[in-house]
This record gives sequence, C-alpha cells and structure tokens, in this order.
Amino acid sequence: MSAKIDFSKISFLVVDGDKISAQVVFDTLSYLGATAVQRVRSPNDAFEVLRTQQIDIIVTEWRLRGMDGLEFLDVLRNSVNSPNRFIPVIMLTAHSEQRYVTTARDLGITEFLAKPFNAKALYSRLVSVITRPRHFVNTGTYFGPDRRRRQVAFDGPDRRSPDD
Amino acid sequence: MTHYDWGTGAIVTPEKKKKKAQIIPPQTDLKRRTVNFVKGFDINLSPQQLDELEQVVQRSTETFVRDIGKDLADCRKLVVAAISDNSKASTALENSSDLAYSVKALGGTFQYPLMTQIAKSLEIFVADRTTANMKQLLVIQLHIDSLYVILASRVTGFGTTVEQATVAALTKLAERYELPRE
Repeated sequence: MSAKIDFSKISFLVVDGDKISAQVVFDTLSYLGATAVQRVRSPNDAFEVLRTQQIDIIVTEWRLRGMDGLEFLDVLRNSVNSPNRFIPVIMLTAHSEQRYVTTARDLGITEFLAKPFNAKALYSRLVSVITRPRHFVNTGTYFGPDRRRRQVAFDGPDRRSPDD
Repeated sequence: MTHYDWGTGAIVTPEKKKKKAQIIPPQTDLKRRTVNFVKGFDINLSPQQLDELEQVVQRSTETFVRDIGKDLADCRKLVVAAISDNSKASTALENSSDLAYSVKALGGTFQYPLMTQIAKSLEIFVADRTTANMKQLLVIQLHIDSLYVILASRVTGFGTTVEQATVAALTKLAERYELPRE
C-alpha cells in the first residue's frame, strides 16, 4: 500500500494577478481534493487573508501589481510583522532565468516552478513541500529553508551547528 | 582586542567571532496531518493519474484562447494608435509588456509553446522601455500579429520549419531595432 496525501486537510492561498493562471492552479488543487483554496490578486490582499485565516501553503506569482512576489516573500520571511515566517511558499513564475531562481532561493523560497508549467511539475512541488519539510536556517543575512538540497560528504568544520 | 604576537613580532587584531547559524528543525505538522495510507492521492502518481491531472489543467484551454485572443486584439489597437500618435506609445508598451508576460507564462501550458517563444522575444524587446519610435512599434505589432495568427490557426506544438523560421526572423528583427532603448 502506498502513502497518500489528503489535500482536504491543507489550506492554500494563491496569489496571482493573472486570472487564467490562478484558475489553473485552483482547478488543479480542487481536483486533488483541496477544499480551502483562496485566490487573491495582490500581496496586500494576501496579507489580509494571512492575518485572519489559517493558511498552510502559499502559491505565488513573481510579477504582481504594487509589491512584487519577491518583496512579498521578503516581508513574509524577514518582517517582524510577518503573519507566519515559516509558511511554505511555492513561486510559480515565467521569470525562469537562472538569476531569478537564485534570487528567489536567497530570499527563502521553498519551491520554484517555472511557467509554462504542467500538472506533473506542480504536483511534485506540492509533494516536496508537504512530505519533505526542510530545516530553517537563521543567519545574519538569511532566514528561510535550508538551501542545501544535496547531501555531500564534507569533512571540514560544521559552521552551521547551533550555538553551544 | 589587539595583542602583540611574540612569535612573529606583529600586532594582531583577532577576527570578530562570526555569529553561528541557527538551525530550526523542520515543521512536520503538514506531513503529520496529511500523509496517510487511506485517503487522498498517491505520493507517486501513476501515469494514468498524471494524465487525468493534466486534463484538469487543459480544461482552461478554451478560456486561454478566448481571453488571450481578445487581449491580443485590444493590444494591437493600442499599438496601431501609437504608430499614428506617439504620445500613446507608453500605454501601448505597458500593455504589450503585460500581454507578453501572460502569453509567455501560459502558452506552453496549453500546448502553444510557439506562442511562448514569440512572447519571450516580445517581452525582451519591450522590457524597460517607456517609449518607442515608429519602427519599434511596428516590430511590436508584428509580434502581436504572429501570436494572433498562431492562436487563430490553432498551431499547437512547435510548428513546422516555416513557423520556426518566423520565430527566428522576429527575434532577429527585435535585435535589429533594439536601440534606442529609453
């Protein structure tokens, strides 16, 4: 018997100004069984929802009106007013060049998915967020999920050990 | 605090001790709440389940064709208006930029990767522009016309060599008239 994910127990927030894109994500999540899926067009609306409701996963576009997706992520991860600094964030964007991926990663994105996307790719990001939660790292310059994905043998000093 | 090193005879300033990283254990609440062996979708979907999920995405294809078709027609009007009255160029550019991004983002999802390619060329061409001269507006119009033809003719996939040659020609044209960029 294989392990399953019960999506009906997860609440999602989709932040995307593009009606069709938001609809595709909404349809996919609904098909998977999610019943709590909210759609908003801007980060300001997203913060309203986050302050008043329990949200488990955010799916956001980078290109948004007013504050963009990156600033949104920055406030989420680093502001003292953030409703939830640890919330998993999947960035779904057509800004798919390497420099965008690196920038998003260094601001604490949980998963990155380039548009145009397909259902398989979106599903794999959802599975990753839910079943493989990562450590969070807090340094003077970074707060977010551990950016190291590969486990590489290293025999040097462990500078990321917690303070003694 | 600086000190005198008797071995080397030098004044040594010790390095500031770097703040060590704080490691916070993963939040496993989501996993605990949702992963089970009874209800929901398999973590590893079968090819058939993936096909079904892909069909859900494709449900919005008609909406894409209809909405993007209308947006292309509207944007074309703005560009044509800007060609005869350059004071309207900034509005046309802003609209073209938004449209290019949307088409680039969604074309491939709905089996129109050729549209994604052309939209990418358009997006690069209009990026960071606040105004454009007549030739540059014509380049934008050509991109929009090509996108419209592909959509209206329902050219899914990457097309034939003719379509690929069109994409290459548009990209070359955009490079040729890239300057001035202001």
